[in-house]
Amino acid sequence: MVRFKHRYLLCEVVSDDPRCRLTLEDRVLGTLVRDTIARVHGTFGAAACSIGFAVRYLNAYTGIVLLRCRKEFYRLVWSALPFITYLENKGHRYPCFLNTLHVGGTIRTCQKFLIQYNRRQLLILLQNCTDEGEREAIQKSVTKSCLLEEESAGEELSDSGGEETAEPME
Amino acid sequence: MPAPATTYERIVYKNPSEYHYMKVRLEFQDGGVGLNAAQFKQLLISALKELFGEVDAALPLDVLTYEEKTLSAILRICSSGLVKLWSSLTLLGSYKGKNCAFRVIQVSPFLLALSGNSRELVLN
Repeated sequence: MVRFKHRYLLCEVVSDDPRCRLTLEDRVLGTLVRDTIARVHGTFGAAACSIGFAVRYLNAYTGIVLLRCRKEFYRLVWSALPFITYLENKGHRYPCFLNTLHVGGTIRTCQKFLIQYNRRQLLILLQNCTDEGEREAIQKSVTKSCLLEEESAGEELSDSGGEETAEPME
Repeated sequence: MPAPATTYERIVYKNPSEYHYMKVRLEFQDGGVGLNAAQFKQLLISALKELFGEVDAALPLDVLTYEEKTLSAILRICSSGLVKLWSSLTLLGSYKGKNCAFRVIQVSPFLLALSGNSRELVLN
């Protein structure tokens, strides 16, 4: 069949600084990844990867990024991600790194993985949290997610309980 | 009397040499430019870095011999990097603002083949 095949890289931005995630913007991240590929893989890599390259999804609260690239050159993009060491926005530089969680062929498979990953992260947060109010909020989110799983609604979880306790995770 | 049964052993030799050797010469458009061995290697690595980035600029490349008068050299590169090196030499256009070009004279996976070239054979 004649169509352009892509690979979707699901990554997480990990940083010590809590302000780093809030300054995430898709254009800033897109130019940062393109410049890093040009540095690491040269003119050839920059040209090959930037044809089908796009930042498809960005969540500033959880730091999840979905990058798209052509199937023939996804390895060049993937190998350039560890060379990203900082995020620069409005003159402020935050050290961070990109952790690749999943590589999928379609957005739907990445979404399914992200839902399962978020459920597992909620349980880990429940174990690590110290405050009683936060514990109740997370338990409520966990039961809600279990109900949703039984209903098999298949919608993505954006949990507010997880955002407040984002710091103890890192 | 029947012939004794012979056992055959098949050896397949698939070019296991890990390195390729290239004989190259650097030509300047105006001439009269000298480079020492370190500058020559720096030029090769910068050509690789421009086209293929930092990852391939770190390929194990060796300059085995270098003659400053004729600006010719014998290079050794691992076989997986031969195509990258050759294409980056092709696309190298200038050194410090002066136009130049690499002429690739001979390429072989065996170093001994570079010692004799049938094109330079003199028949009398």
